[in-house]
Amino acid sequence: MAGITSKTIHDIFQSMEYGPSSSSTATAQAWLESHSRALGLFIDGKFVRSADRQTCNVTDSSGGPVCSTVCAVDEDASLSVSSGASGFKAWSALPCHLRAKTLLRLVSSLQRHGQCLSELCDLAQSPSSPSALVRLLQYYSGWAQLRDSLIPDWTPRGVVVVVVSDDCSLYSLMLKVLPALAMGNAVVAIPGVGTAPPVLLLAQLFVEAGLPAGVLNVVTGSVLSLGSKVAQNPHVSYVTYSGNKKDGEILCRATAGMGVPVSLSLSLGATCPFIIFESADIDSAVDGVIETAFKKNRECQWMLCVQESVWDSVVARLKVRMAGMKSVPLLAEGDRRLVDAAVQEAQQQGATLIQPCPPSSSGAAYPPTVLCGVAPSCTCVVTPSPGPLLPLLSFRSHGEGVTLGNHSPHGQAASIWTEDLTLALEAAKSLSVGAVWVNSHSVMDPSLPISGHKESGNCIDGGKEGLFQFLRPSSSPPLPRSSPASVDYSKFGTAASAAIIPEGSNSSSTPRSYLQYVGGKQCKSESGSSVCVLAPGGGTVLAHCPDGGRKDVRNAVEAAIKVQPGWMKKSPVARAQSLFSLAETLELKRRDMAVSLHSQTGLSLEKADMEVELSIAQLCDWAARCDKEKGGVPSVPQSGSALSIPEALGVVGVVLPDSSPLLSMVSLLAAAVAMGNAVIMVPSPKYPLPALEFIQVLQSSDLPGGVVSIITGGRDQLTQALANHSVIKAIWYWGSMEGCQFLQHTCASPLKSLWLHCQEKDGGRDWAQPHASLQEEMWRQAVQWKSVWIPTA
Amino acid sequence: MSARNPGMPLDLAWVSKVRVNTQAVLKRAQQIQGRNKNKKQWQAAWLLRAVTCIDLTTLAGDDTPGNVHRLCMKATQPVRYDLLKSMDMQDKGVTTAAVCVYPSRVADAVKSLKAANSSLPVASVATGFPAGQTSLKTRLEEVRMAVEDGAMEIDIVINRTLALTGQWEGSDFIKTSTGKESVNATYPVAIVMVRAIRDYFLKTGHKVGFKPAGGIRTAKESLVWLTLMKEELGDEWLSPRLFRLGASSLLADIERQIYHHVTGRYAAYHQMPMA
Repeated sequence: MAGITSKTIHDIFQSMEYGPSSSSTATAQAWLESHSRALGLFIDGKFVRSADRQTCNVTDSSGGPVCSTVCAVDEDASLSVSSGASGFKAWSALPCHLRAKTLLRLVSSLQRHGQCLSELCDLAQSPSSPSALVRLLQYYSGWAQLRDSLIPDWTPRGVVVVVVSDDCSLYSLMLKVLPALAMGNAVVAIPGVGTAPPVLLLAQLFVEAGLPAGVLNVVTGSVLSLGSKVAQNPHVSYVTYSGNKKDGEILCRATAGMGVPVSLSLSLGATCPFIIFESADIDSAVDGVIETAFKKNRECQWMLCVQESVWDSVVARLKVRMAGMKSVPLLAEGDRRLVDAAVQEAQQQGATLIQPCPPSSSGAAYPPTVLCGVAPSCTCVVTPSPGPLLPLLSFRSHGEGVTLGNHSPHGQAASIWTEDLTLALEAAKSLSVGAVWVNSHSVMDPSLPISGHKESGNCIDGGKEGLFQFLRPSSSPPLPRSSPASVDYSKFGTAASAAIIPEGSNSSSTPRSYLQYVGGKQCKSESGSSVCVLAPGGGTVLAHCPDGGRKDVRNAVEAAIKVQPGWMKKSPVARAQSLFSLAETLELKRRDMAVSLHSQTGLSLEKADMEVELSIAQLCDWAARCDKEKGGVPSVPQSGSALSIPEALGVVGVVLPDSSPLLSMVSLLAAAVAMGNAVIMVPSPKYPLPALEFIQVLQSSDLPGGVVSIITGGRDQLTQALANHSVIKAIWYWGSMEGCQFLQHTCASPLKSLWLHCQEKDGGRDWAQPHASLQEEMWRQAVQWKSVWIPTA
Repeated sequence: MSARNPGMPLDLAWVSKVRVNTQAVLKRAQQIQGRNKNKKQWQAAWLLRAVTCIDLTTLAGDDTPGNVHRLCMKATQPVRYDLLKSMDMQDKGVTTAAVCVYPSRVADAVKSLKAANSSLPVASVATGFPAGQTSLKTRLEEVRMAVEDGAMEIDIVINRTLALTGQWEGSDFIKTSTGKESVNATYPVAIVMVRAIRDYFLKTGHKVGFKPAGGIRTAKESLVWLTLMKEELGDEWLSPRLFRLGASSLLADIERQIYHHVTGRYAAYHQMPMA
């Protein structure tokens, strides 16, 4: 400090440098002192501190101690959940307006103590703005007020666990905690090291504002092990995670088989394209790059893509703007080695550097660096290193720019810069990411959903869309809780089906051999073998159906990706027409279908006909919904327009339930296809015939071949095959507990959205009851969300 | 001042390709206004630098040799000597950049400065200020006369009819406005203008200066202007060679802020020598 204070006015007059920014932390320090700088867990409305627990130190940016937090043990974990369970009783019993009132009271409390909170965030190196939190609270108190009137027939899940990784921001954490509370759930929050002190302060403020004890508990410690410890408790009904990919996957695997749905928001560390088209305001675009690309704590890793015609112009401006920039501290000691290696490799591959100053020979800081002219295959693009490095790639045409941006396993967000409105909207539509910022970057508001596409998550936060993760249809039971079984994941679904041997039966009763349906054609399985379908009650062989496997799933996926983009781009009206025609064809074949249902399930012909009738009604329902389900134009505080748009997921794998085999299949097929997806369906191994009979209907419809494929065979074998195909974005599963566990474990990476149902423990849903919330749940499962921000002056 | 911008052939294709995203510029303007949080000696040093960039101006119908003389004397000693001395800046050449007057007062200003043994340049607005709607012949004659009277710098009002019809003129400095318009120097407009300067520099290597004028009255605003130049164009554009603040009452506020820095007390206007 001596060096700084000794600067004379004349020195500064000459150099015109900025002064040091100093901010007071007195309020936060006073609060920490009142806790003797040792923060306990926050359970049942109060701080709890057992003397025998290990502690963890929170440090400030210069490594100095800020305070300590407790490392919770098993006992604390179960205490927090049982407190949550009783908190949930009290909280969910309140009428909506009282929950809303409590959240609003916190707004004024937060405005009063905003200084303390923001100082505490700065101290704990987890920067956050109290005004953004106030906006979150105001937004969600509105939803708390309106839940019953705008989202009827849905109930809160119960005790929800919110887990974040150490590097996750307070905002991302509260973006899950507040909607969970607003919908009437109790929350056990497991913050990272840096977010722990501010979350503990918020929990205290919440209780002061009148939140019943136990509704928000905060347990601190090692995030990963604690997450699964807490989730183990049978009172937990949902786990949601925000943070980096690695920790998310570990959490997913550790909780597989517990019977708790887990969703991941993997925004941190995602590579996001920053695309500058030649029609952009180049200066403003470069301004955006400077503002966001080199920050010490940045949520995403930008990849700068510049159209060749303005390449020189962008590079020249980057040089001017970066000239005075200072080195950025690295987050960890070992990062320097990684940064040096990444820069060296990029240079070896022909990249040139833009740096304000050469890096010091060693030390945990590095100058902001643009790696000009790296190829998409360079390691610094594929697996970005930590530190203030920005890869700069070129593209030739608009189309290539979008392709470059899309060619990544991540799908978090993109920033695009152009003054050409048509280009902006077309690019926004074509980018497979959850958020597109037009001529802007990093804009957020709780009224718009944030949901990563591809490997960036399977969870929707924010907006009305983000509320549904904390709700379930009142008429549908939750996933039954269980303990993880010891499953050999490498062996699951690898057993061969029982071979069929000639039995010498007489020719008059030879069972019929069915074919499966792949890419619009009926075919045998790739293996050529079949399995027996037994008549109801067992005993006689009713038919033979193909014993499909990995190769059949592969063929179906190949066919699906050829037609799905075109199907998705078709006008909703055209999709509706196709579904209506499907309904008409089913009508023509209703007798055949009823007979098939009757002989397969033993259902009376009358009831079977009723099921066909309901299936026709479902097709018509979804045909009608095609052009009705849409996003919106939410009002946001910023000036300009923002859109939230539902998009098809892509290819969806559906492992069908045993119950109501025709109706359930038609309902799920219609929902997925109506929203623009392609489906690969695995009929119930017990009752596959109605699905196979339905192939006739599909064949005479005008659905493009490949939009629907039906593959029969062993449920486990085909589940395994679906799980191991990266193109498949979502799996809707009805099956065994073990299957659920396998999927949760396997679909953590590459990530898929899972909609799991255990047939063993509950009777499953009643497909014949047309609850509006069940259809709503289906269409919400069938889409992913994209937000488009178009700020204007 | 020597002509440092030899110019280039007019390239209207370049002009028409310029894209400005208004909301991004407005956001940038807000960001710049929140950027400078300099305190203590940093604030004092930056304020003194602002002083050296001021074109101390009087452009009133009732200007006389008397008030022009006062202005010139204030320009040579813009901050009280005792205040400068306590900051050890008394011998560092802290004067304003120039005095700026109407053509008819140039001779008075030159005389006053010469008498005070000052080499401070006299700038003059010319060419039918502030509307510029006079004939080219009289405009050129006006410039010639001001130069003959000893003006070193001429602030020209461009013929906006020509500009609006795409027939541009070149210059060493560009100015936000005459200061006599309803809207004068605003930050978003300035950002667009300095980016044009940057654009021209990147293309030709010639450095054009920038002068916001009109409505700049507070010390805080002068700091924002310096920040804007530093952020967008770099430190080189923080000197009077490439940056001027056209102002009349700004200096008084800066001097009061400096008084506060030195003494810890807030000054009344009458404690500072009048311009």
